[in-house]
Amino acid sequence: MNTILSLGAILLFPSGLFLLFNGIVYEWIDKKILARQQNRMGPRWFQPLADVTKLMVKEEIVPAGVNATLFNLLPIFALAGPLTAALYMPVGGIRPLLSFKGDLIVTVYLLSVLTIATGLAGANTASRFSLLGATRTLTQLFSYEAPFMLALLGPAIAAGSWQIAEINDYAGNHLLLLREPIGFVIAIIGLAGKLELPPFDAPEAETEIVAGAMTEYGGRGLALFHLGRSAELVLGLTLIASFYLGGVASPLAYLLKTLALLLGLAGFQALMTRLRIDQTVGLWWRYGSLIVLVQWLALFVLDMSRGGGIFS
Amino acid sequence: MSVQLDKPWQRILDEVATWARKNSPWAIHYNSGSCNGCDIEILAALTPRYDVERLGVTLHGSPRHADVLICTGPVTRQSADRLRRIYEQMPEPKFVVAVGSCALTGGVFHDGYNCLGGIEKVIPVDVFVPGCPPRPEAIIDGVVKLLQKVDPDRTPARAGSEIVSEKEDTHGSYDRNPATD
Amino acid sequence: MEATTETLQRTEALLEPWRERMQTPEPDRIYLSIGPDELLDVVRTLHDARWGYLSTISGIDPSAEDSEMEVLYHFCSGPIVVTLRVALSREHPTTPSVCSIIPSASIQERELIEMLGIDVVNTPDQSLLYLPDDWPEDLYPLRRDFDPAEIAKREPRKHSKAHTDSDKFVVPIGPQHPALKEPAHFEFTLDGEIVTGASVRLGYAHRGIERATQNMNWTQNLYLLERVCGICSHIHAEAYCLGVEHLAGVEVPARARVIREIVAGLERIHSHLLWFGVAAHEAGFDTLFMYSWRDRETVLDLLEGISGNRINYSINVLGGVKYDITPELTEKIYKGIEFLDERVRHYLNVSTKDTMFLQRTRGIGVMTKEQAEALGALGPTARASGVLRDIRVDAPYGAYLDFPVEPVVETAGDLEARFIVRLEEILSTVVMIREMLDKLPEGELTTRMPRRVKAGETISRVEAPRGELFYYIRSAGGETPERIKIRTPTILNLGTVIVSAVGHQFADMPMILAGVDPCFSCNDRAVEVRSAGSDPEPWSWEKLRQYGIEHYR
Repeated sequence: MNTILSLGAILLFPSGLFLLFNGIVYEWIDKKILARQQNRMGPRWFQPLADVTKLMVKEEIVPAGVNATLFNLLPIFALAGPLTAALYMPVGGIRPLLSFKGDLIVTVYLLSVLTIATGLAGANTASRFSLLGATRTLTQLFSYEAPFMLALLGPAIAAGSWQIAEINDYAGNHLLLLREPIGFVIAIIGLAGKLELPPFDAPEAETEIVAGAMTEYGGRGLALFHLGRSAELVLGLTLIASFYLGGVASPLAYLLKTLALLLGLAGFQALMTRLRIDQTVGLWWRYGSLIVLVQWLALFVLDMSRGGGIFS
Repeated sequence: MSVQLDKPWQRILDEVATWARKNSPWAIHYNSGSCNGCDIEILAALTPRYDVERLGVTLHGSPRHADVLICTGPVTRQSADRLRRIYEQMPEPKFVVAVGSCALTGGVFHDGYNCLGGIEKVIPVDVFVPGCPPRPEAIIDGVVKLLQKVDPDRTPARAGSEIVSEKEDTHGSYDRNPATD
Repeated sequence: MEATTETLQRTEALLEPWRERMQTPEPDRIYLSIGPDELLDVVRTLHDARWGYLSTISGIDPSAEDSEMEVLYHFCSGPIVVTLRVALSREHPTTPSVCSIIPSASIQERELIEMLGIDVVNTPDQSLLYLPDDWPEDLYPLRRDFDPAEIAKREPRKHSKAHTDSDKFVVPIGPQHPALKEPAHFEFTLDGEIVTGASVRLGYAHRGIERATQNMNWTQNLYLLERVCGICSHIHAEAYCLGVEHLAGVEVPARARVIREIVAGLERIHSHLLWFGVAAHEAGFDTLFMYSWRDRETVLDLLEGISGNRINYSINVLGGVKYDITPELTEKIYKGIEFLDERVRHYLNVSTKDTMFLQRTRGIGVMTKEQAEALGALGPTARASGVLRDIRVDAPYGAYLDFPVEPVVETAGDLEARFIVRLEEILSTVVMIREMLDKLPEGELTTRMPRRVKAGETISRVEAPRGELFYYIRSAGGETPERIKIRTPTILNLGTVIVSAVGHQFADMPMILAGVDPCFSCNDRAVEVRSAGSDPEPWSWEKLRQYGIEHYR
């Protein structure tokens, strides 16, 4: 790839502006659906854009007792993680620009950068709400990460590849949703956990710890975290759509499938009471991980009995 | 924040900033001794019948995130200091809306031994919403009036406020202590 | 009434040793004049016989010239109120603390100390309750000779700023915090996510209303007292009116009495729905919050229809009510409450069936019946723990004499039970309003009320949405009251928060706080209990209190 193309890939598509814009629009759809379910009008279509712009031009205060360099750098990392991950993903229904064997693992880790940056950002400040939020963010990371990963590995094993592009192609011919329904459900719930959506919003539970790790951030830092979160929403939806909903081979398929997932996710949020952090951890380790493993086992036995072997 | 600039692209940037500020006023609410009447009306403004989110107004918990400080109640001796700190913890540009008769003048409690009077005794106020309590419609109207005042040509902290009390102290000095400590 | 006579006889038998100093000014009131040295004996006698609960302690400074001050201890059991009148010298007002017998009296004793400068001997906590931290020493707002101008002239009190032990992780909630729409300051000491200690500092909303009442005439006070609390404004005004009308010997027309209780019923519905939404919001269930507040607008519309205002409806006047309920309004109210009835049944279903929601309410913040009784919990908080305390049942007033109330009692004592009690109460209130509208008597709305109220004193108890509201009103025969003492239900209920807090997850705190439906503006008091995890009795006030207090309120 020549320099201009890679610059374009990073700044415009699939990463960069496209992803951010896509994220902002999806965020609005999410909020709007939530509001409509709560019998409200909900925000206007440009609301997330106005929010982010306003935060960008707002003054930034570096609170006392923080490492200022870290305070300023962490939001950048938080956004860089998802933006880099986008290069390996079929965003917009186009084949991933970069691809190598095992890029699924790298991508999943890149998607965790936002969470880790949030945790560090909280731990960096002296506010007790931030510290509690950081602890909760990281605790939650350790609880959903393994089941989420396992749920993504299901399709990978079915496709016999650890490369997102190849799994996407394989999923285009096999509707894995029917074959691994449990994995699909776990992946969706895992995404809700990753994005700290209800009922997994304990890390930023407003009525307990104000805004969790974000309490001390205002202005640009908050905007970058916010954008990182929206980008991650898009990427998570893309990943699940391409793995479980028959792949995203065209822009139209991408749009329809991710939107369908978003609808489900928004509906799911409106019905939930926040779980306490101990309940979240218990849920994931006691049920989430176990049932994914059970599904693996079932698939394995089924496969063996057919004489094939997904693990072969 | 808004430096005098004459290059056209800079003016456009300014306009964009103003547009964003007008359309995304995040609010924080502080009750400095109110009877709750105003507070429940502010909350009611968030709920389906009034739904201020359609105007971009959302209620936030941390002063660092907020643009608009919505205050209710007369300022009691014990809460005055806290009110000042919340104001100082908010980043520029910031605005203050005083809601209810007590927040305007102290209301029925104006001569109480423990009340200092209205909000403006402690921090500069941009918009006053009278009523005991004001209806949610009136509170929304107050916020809309405030948004009309958001203008890049005014220095943020002074936007439209005629009250001068303690401005020297608060403008430009920030409380860097952890928010809502 | 037979039960009343029986209780009365039992009480008189109990207080036999002090019979010659006993007065019964009214059939259900007993006054007992005793000296400070006898106080503990009497209190112990009542307490050992498990006679009622200590409802209110109020102090009076009748005049600057007089050589005596008086402290009144009001004990309530059913309709009977026993008032222990303790006369103190003005020079050195000293009274023993009753905390060794009734630990929960501490809060009210602190109030005596700071408001009247009474020396309460051996009270476990002498720190400021509602006055600001820098309030000058030796300045007592409820003394007759108090002059507000003195505040600026005197030296501010030196107070230690809230200290934080470096090895303890203390999380503050309030005075500005999303979980609290009102200012109060809580500090929770955490071990990980588990709460090991809790403290409260109130008083951010202390406006000095009791003092202000002494400077206004009887009618003006009505408007002031309505603004004690914006959520239950009607019930405050009603308690005041009932008391003053009783003092003045005025009979309120039947129609006005019923209209008052209809509005009180609507207010109860509005308050409980408001609480329900806020509690759901604390649990992170915003959809439920939005729905319940949307439905709450129905009640506000009805109240607006009756009075013209959504909050602070100001329907009471001394001697009756201001607004009539017309046939058109009656129709609207029928329709409104029918809609609410249906919705509340749905919410009841949600809060008892929704698994996710139950995870946050069932078995959380449990208060046993014994704890509820010992701490003097009131209203729905007590009734969710199986303690039937409801003034509308115990000592019916106004229209409740003709329309008996069916109390709602649950026994589990956890958050779920409090949800059920409050929602069931909305349903029973709907039934009651319907019945009252059906049988609304014809007639006048007001009677003539004299400008001056006869000298005397009275107690007015009503059931506010949060529990028993207690007014003590004393008149010297002038145009202004001599003393009005307000004891709101939150003050007694707050003690239960601390009991429930220790040992729970921090994430449950907003819910537990909301569980008692605290109303800080009603209340300007501070409580602090710190407890160590090893303490076998986490709610033993004496032990915990020595840790001292700081705060903020």
